[in-house]
Amino acid sequence: MISIIGQSMILVALISAGAGSILAFISAKKDSAEGTNWARRAAQLFAILLIAANFLMVYALLAPDFSVGYVAKVGSTTVPTWVAVVSLWSSLEGSILFWGAMLGVYVLVSVRDLGDHHPEHLPYFLGVLLACGVFFTFLLAGPANPFTSVPNPLTEGPGPNPLLQNHILMIIHPPMLYGGYVGMTVPFALAMAALLAGNLGADFVPRLRRWLMIPWIFLTGGIVLGGWWAYEVLGWGGYWDWDPVENASFFPWLTATAALHSVIVVKRRGTLKIWSITLILATFLLTILGTFMTRSGVFNSVHSFTQSDIGPTFLVFLAICFVAVILALAARMDRLEGGAGVRDVKSREAMFLLNNLFFVLFTFVVVIGTVFPLLVEAIKGVKISVGSPYFNAMSVPLGVGILFLMGVGPALPWGVASVERTKKALLPPLIGGVIGLAIALPLGLTNGWALATCFAGGYTLVVTTQQFGLGFGRRGLMGTISHLLGPDRQRFGAYTVHSGVVMIIVAIAVSHTMRSHSETTLLKGDSASIGPYSLTFIDVENTVEPHRRVLAARIAVQQNGQPIGELRPAINHYHTQREPIGTPAVRVGVLSDLYLSMMSYETKSGKLGLRAFINPLVSWIWFGTLVMVFGGLLAVLPRRQT
Amino acid sequence: MIAQLVLLAAVSLPDVSAVVGPPNSTPSSGKALEEHTEQLSDTIRCPVCQGSSVGDSPSEMARNMKQQVKELLALGFDDEQIILYFEASYGEFIRLEPSKKGLNALVWLAPLIALVLGVILVLKRLSGAPKVDHSQQPSQGALPDDPDLARWVLKVRQEVFGWPDGEPPEEAS
Amino acid sequence: MNRKVLIIGLVLTAPLVWILASGFGKNPHAIDSPLVGRAAPTFALRQLNGGETVGLTQGGQPTVVNFWATWCRPCVQEHGVLTAAAARYRGKVKFMGIVYEDTEERIRAYLQRSGAAYPTLIDEAGKTAIAYGVYGVPETFFIDAKGHILYKHAGPLNPQSIEGYLRKLTQGSP
Repeated sequence: MISIIGQSMILVALISAGAGSILAFISAKKDSAEGTNWARRAAQLFAILLIAANFLMVYALLAPDFSVGYVAKVGSTTVPTWVAVVSLWSSLEGSILFWGAMLGVYVLVSVRDLGDHHPEHLPYFLGVLLACGVFFTFLLAGPANPFTSVPNPLTEGPGPNPLLQNHILMIIHPPMLYGGYVGMTVPFALAMAALLAGNLGADFVPRLRRWLMIPWIFLTGGIVLGGWWAYEVLGWGGYWDWDPVENASFFPWLTATAALHSVIVVKRRGTLKIWSITLILATFLLTILGTFMTRSGVFNSVHSFTQSDIGPTFLVFLAICFVAVILALAARMDRLEGGAGVRDVKSREAMFLLNNLFFVLFTFVVVIGTVFPLLVEAIKGVKISVGSPYFNAMSVPLGVGILFLMGVGPALPWGVASVERTKKALLPPLIGGVIGLAIALPLGLTNGWALATCFAGGYTLVVTTQQFGLGFGRRGLMGTISHLLGPDRQRFGAYTVHSGVVMIIVAIAVSHTMRSHSETTLLKGDSASIGPYSLTFIDVENTVEPHRRVLAARIAVQQNGQPIGELRPAINHYHTQREPIGTPAVRVGVLSDLYLSMMSYETKSGKLGLRAFINPLVSWIWFGTLVMVFGGLLAVLPRRQT
Repeated sequence: MIAQLVLLAAVSLPDVSAVVGPPNSTPSSGKALEEHTEQLSDTIRCPVCQGSSVGDSPSEMARNMKQQVKELLALGFDDEQIILYFEASYGEFIRLEPSKKGLNALVWLAPLIALVLGVILVLKRLSGAPKVDHSQQPSQGALPDDPDLARWVLKVRQEVFGWPDGEPPEEAS
Repeated sequence: MNRKVLIIGLVLTAPLVWILASGFGKNPHAIDSPLVGRAAPTFALRQLNGGETVGLTQGGQPTVVNFWATWCRPCVQEHGVLTAAAARYRGKVKFMGIVYEDTEERIRAYLQRSGAAYPTLIDEAGKTAIAYGVYGVPETFFIDAKGHILYKHAGPLNPQSIEGYLRKLTQGSP
C-alpha cells in the first residue's frame, strides 16, 4: 500500500518536474507570464509531493512496514525511534529521497521569495531548477527506488549500518550537509537564469547573493560537523583526514566562498559578472561531482559503505551538466560583461580578485589531489595514494595567504587609493600581528607556518575590529551597536564570519603543531602521565549490546594532582565489521582537550594499550564555526524595511 | 629450556637489508627516536584502514608497522629506505605523500602551473581598460574615476549622509 | 558563441569525466602486489605446536604460503581445500600456514577440530605479513623452486583455482 502511494507520488513529481521545466523554458522564449505561472505551480506540486513522500517513508520506517523495499533494507523493530527516523538517510535510496525533500523545501521557499520580482529571470530559473529535479526524481523512480514493493515481507529487518548508530551526530550532520549541497541548486538556477536572460543587474544581485549565502551557511556547518564526527567518533585523534568524501564536501564550499566575495564586487562595481556566475555554476557542478564520488564506489574512502550502482547514471548527469554550463556560458557570456573594471592593485576590488585566485587554487589542489590516484591508475594501472602530507603541504600556504588577505582586503578602499591612504590603512594593524607573535612565541610555538598564522591572525583581527567600529567616533557605543544590528547588518554579519574564520585557522595551526601525545601499556592500577595530567587505569567494563560488544576502560584523571573525574575510552566490536572501532573519551577544555583512545586490551595479561593526546585549541574550531554560522545568519536574515 | 632457546635463536624474519641495502644512517634512540618514528609513520599509509597513516591508526597491522619503523630507525636505516621497504611489499600505495617521479610529478607541478596561470589572469584583469557597460547603471557604491573627485565624493557622503568612511551601508534587498 | 570558452571548457571537463569513468569496474580497495615475479622474502618461524622452526629459504621446493586467521570466514572455508591440496601434492609442494592477527589458543582449538595437514607458523609482530604485503586474509602465495613468487591470490581458494596454480607451480618438475 505504502509502496504504491510512494511510487505514485514520485511518478507524478517526475512528470510535474519534466513538464514544468519544458513549459518554463518555452515561456521564457515566448515571454509568457501565463506559462511561467503554470510552471511555477508545477514546481510547487513537485516540491510538495517529494516532501510528502519523505514523510510517508518516515512513517513506514517507524511502523516499521517491511513491505516497503527501503524499510526491508534498513528498518528494524529493535532500534530506538531516533535511529528509525535517521535511517531515512542512512542508505542510498533513502538519502536520495531525502535529497528530494531538501530540494522540495528549497524550491518552495525560493519560489516564494522570488515572487514576481524578476519576471525576466523567473522562467529560466524554474526551468533549470526543475530540470535538476527531473534527474533526482528519475533516480527515485528507477535506479534508486526506495518504494519498491517486497512480495513476501519479513517481520524483522537488519537496521541501519551499526556504524551510523554510534553517535547522535548522525541526526544533524547529514541534514546540514544536504542543506548545503542540495541548496546550491538554487543559486545555480539563479545564475543560469541571469546568464540565459542576459541580465545580472543591481536588482538581481542581492537575490543571488542571499540564495548563495543560505546553503553556504548549511554547508559550513555540515563540513565542520563531519570533522567533529571524525574527532569524537572515529577516535584517531584528529578531525580531518583529506579523505575523498571529506574533500567532496569541501571543494564546493571553496568555490561558493569565492563566489560570495566576487558577487560583492559585482554589486559594488558592476564588474566580474561572468566570473561570479562561473564560480556559482562551478559550485553546483562540484556538488554533483562530490555526490558521484561518495556514491559511485570508484573512490577508496571512509564512506565506502554507501556505494551503489548509480555511479554511471550520476556520471552521465555530471557530463550533461558540464556541457549545458559550458554551452550556456559560451553562448551568453558576451551579453553580460561591463562595469568599471579593476584599475588599481591597491584597491579592495583587486583584493577580491586575489581572494578568488587563492580560493580557486585551493579548490584546484583539492580536486586534483583527490582525483589523481584515479588518473594514475587509468594510465599506469598502478595504485598510488595522495594523502595528508600532500594536502597539508598545499593548503597551509594557501590558508595563511587567505587569512592575511582577510585583513588586507577590508583595510583597502574601493576604487583607487593613494599610496598615502594605503599606508595608513595597512601599516597600523601590523601591531596586531606582532601581538599575535608575542602571544605565540612564549607559549612554545616554533613551527614557521604556525607562527605566520598567528601573525596573520592578529593582523586580520585588528582590521576586522576596526571594521566593526567604523563610525564609532560619531555614534558612540550604543549607536554603533544599533547601527551594526540594523542598517549595517550585512556587513556586521560578514565581519563576524571573518572573526570565526580567524579563530578556526589559528586553532587548526596550533592544534596541529602543538599537540602532544603518549602511548603506554598499563596494568590495572598503573598510571601514565601526559602534560599536567595523570591517568590511572582502574578497570575494564564489557557491555554486550544487540549489534556490538563494547569494551570500555575506566581511567581516573588527575590534573596537577587534583582528581577531576573519570574518562572511559572504549573499543566497539561490531558484528558486521572486522576492524574494531574505537570510541575516544574527550575532555573538552577552552584551551585544550584531553583525548584518550583505547588501543587494545589483552584479557589474559590484563594489559591495556592507551593513547593519550593533548589537543590544544580544538574547541575553538567548533566555537569559531558557530560564530561563522551566526555571522552568516546575521547577513542573510531579512531586515524590516526602514 | 635449552631446546626453546635454540628455537628462538633459529627464528629469522625477512631481511630488510636484502631489499633496501645496509643502513644508510646512524642508529638513534630515546626521544629523538620516538619523534622520528611519529613523523615518519605519518607518511606511511595503513594498508587495512581507510586512508589513515600508520601513525594514527589503532589497528593491529598499523601498530605492527609502526613498531617496525621504530626498530628500523633504531638500527640506522634512513627514511627513504624504510619507505622503500614497505613499498616493495605493498606498492606505491603505501606512500601517503606521492613520490615526485614520473607521472606523479604532475600532481606536484599542476598547482604551480595553476598558480602561474592564475597570477597572469589576475594581472591581466588589473591592467585591463574599463569596458563599456551595456546593461545597467553603475551600482550605488561606484566612484568617479578621477581620484581627487573620488575623495571628495567620499567626504561628502561621510559628512552629509553619515556613511562610515564614505561607504554606503548595504541596502535591503 | 564564444569559441574560446567552449573549447577550454570541453578540454578541461572531458578528461575529468574520462578519468572518473575509468574507475568503474575497478575495486578501489584491491591493491596489486609488487612482489609477484620477484624473490620471496625468506623467513624461519616457530611452529604453533613446537618442534623445529619452519620456513622459506632461497631455492628448494615449490612452496605455498597461506596467511589466515580463525576469525576470517573465507579462511575457514578454504581450509579444507588447502588440506586436500597439501595431501595431493605431498612431496612435491611444501605447504605452510602463517597466523595473522590471531591468538594461539583459538588457532589450536580450531586445528584440533579441523585437522592440520601442514605446519602452522606464528609470525612475530606481523613482520612476515608486512614483508609479504598482506593487507587482508586469506592471502596465498605460490612460490616456485627458485624462490620466486609466481602468484598471489587474495581471497579464498576453491578446488579449481588452487589446482590451476599448483599445476603451473609444478610444471617442469618430476
